[in-house]
Amino acid sequence: MTAEDSATGPLNGRGRSWSAIIPQRFFRTWELLYLLTARELKLRYQDTILGFVWSVLKPLMLGLVLYVIFSHVARIATNGMPLQLVILPALFAWTWFSSSMIMSAPAIANNGNLIKKVHFPRYVLPFSTIANNMVHFLLTIPIIMIFVLATGRHPNYTWLIGIPILTVLELLLLMGAVLFVSAVDVYFRDLEHLLEVFLNFAFYATPIIYQLSNLGKYQNLALINPMASLIEAWRNLLVLNQLPSLLDIWPCLAGTVAAVLIGSFVFGRLEKGFADAV
Amino acid sequence: MLSNGTAIALEGISKRYFLRAQRPEDIKTTVLHLPSFLKRSNGGRPLWALDDVSFSVKRGESLGVIGPNGSGKSTLLKIIADLAPPTRGKVEVAGRISALLELGAGFHPRITGRENAILNAVLLGLSKKEALEALPHIIAFSELGNFIDEPMRTYSSGMYVRLGFSVAVHVRPDVLLVDEVLAVGDGEFQQKCFDHIAKLRANGVTIVFVSHDLGSVTRFCDRAILLQHGQMQVEGDSLPVVQEYLDRIAAFLSRTVSS
Repeated sequence: MTAEDSATGPLNGRGRSWSAIIPQRFFRTWELLYLLTARELKLRYQDTILGFVWSVLKPLMLGLVLYVIFSHVARIATNGMPLQLVILPALFAWTWFSSSMIMSAPAIANNGNLIKKVHFPRYVLPFSTIANNMVHFLLTIPIIMIFVLATGRHPNYTWLIGIPILTVLELLLLMGAVLFVSAVDVYFRDLEHLLEVFLNFAFYATPIIYQLSNLGKYQNLALINPMASLIEAWRNLLVLNQLPSLLDIWPCLAGTVAAVLIGSFVFGRLEKGFADAV
Repeated sequence: MLSNGTAIALEGISKRYFLRAQRPEDIKTTVLHLPSFLKRSNGGRPLWALDDVSFSVKRGESLGVIGPNGSGKSTLLKIIADLAPPTRGKVEVAGRISALLELGAGFHPRITGRENAILNAVLLGLSKKEALEALPHIIAFSELGNFIDEPMRTYSSGMYVRLGFSVAVHVRPDVLLVDEVLAVGDGEFQQKCFDHIAKLRANGVTIVFVSHDLGSVTRFCDRAILLQHGQMQVEGDSLPVVQEYLDRIAAFLSRTVSS
């Protein structure tokens, strides 16, 4: 039994037929998600002078730091790809993932007041942070384009096909992951801290500052991480105009299916207890 | 399934909480008590906030719930609103519920009253279109005037509550749950809220009303129940139930005074 069972129409109780109301329920949930995301986007840089520029500037600054370190201090082989192009697309796609995870883990636990008093589908809270960070990620794509053009490369039609595919894939992976962490965090708040440590580790375990090929015989080990093949696919798309192939992206697909199944199962099991636990 | 004319039916509702008095404090005890920790009982003492409560409310009827603090009144509303599952028993509610458990839950201080009102209305169950249609009525009812386009951090607590109430009653509920929230705002606005609830009631909205204000319970409610220690002590027409509650308080007071 989920949030709006009692919120729609003159239907009988909590054991009524579902089929008639699914579209309406879905639509309202969608609107709620939209309104929450719009609010978060508006609030994020409200009262700052640079405003939305920050959402581009912050990942760019981090990119610059990494560029300086890995071009001057610790060099890595780039197979002829300019280092900034190795780092930037991967870093921006990764930032969407890691920021969403960090921000959504406490999304339910920190909204106790709302959870205890108002009836609405709980998953919109973590989902809206994914949407929020997705908007910021999409805003950085023009920046990537500038860097690509600056090295004499030309984006082509593959971007129009590849960007939606990879965006949806990362979105689904995040939805599953975020359902899991936001639900578990209600009962086990150490998870927020564990997650931070884990994401720091994952940053280096994922081919962001290097390419998968740098790993040699350890490539298969790295591919256990679903983000590895996804980040590699983002870079191949945005730098080399290569569309993701099933052969390369299947570890991410498998990870996404697993994440969505586990995430929705765990969330569904724990959801009922949220109001008593937060 | 609810029979025709019944809006709310509760059957043998019990709710258990675990008191966390003996919560393990360090890692070693946590690990040693892992099985019970995972079961979330935390080795704590169980507390039955509600114990085998059954009643039903007819459509258009208003029911008062009275009883001392900690008797389970708010837990009861939470269960009717489906915010928390009962440990045992069955609840059925027909139609859209609006729960006035807390006014303006989810309001954000840094965006305007107007934006908050729309988001809050959708949160409470309206579609965005319905919310936009209701917005002029919400604003008019709240009497906030030009303040509606100011960030809510500039509002007084009274203004905050006015907007919260205005949104909540414009959700056009079939069942309205009211938890002591009317004890806020100035007398004039309180009267306005009561008038509005009376209007909803005349339109056939089912109301469950939790209050310590026994006067308004007798005035507003057809029937009432008295809760004590999570158990339903008395059920019936509101006036005799309130009378019984007052008698018990009087008996309790005379006992304390004489001892």
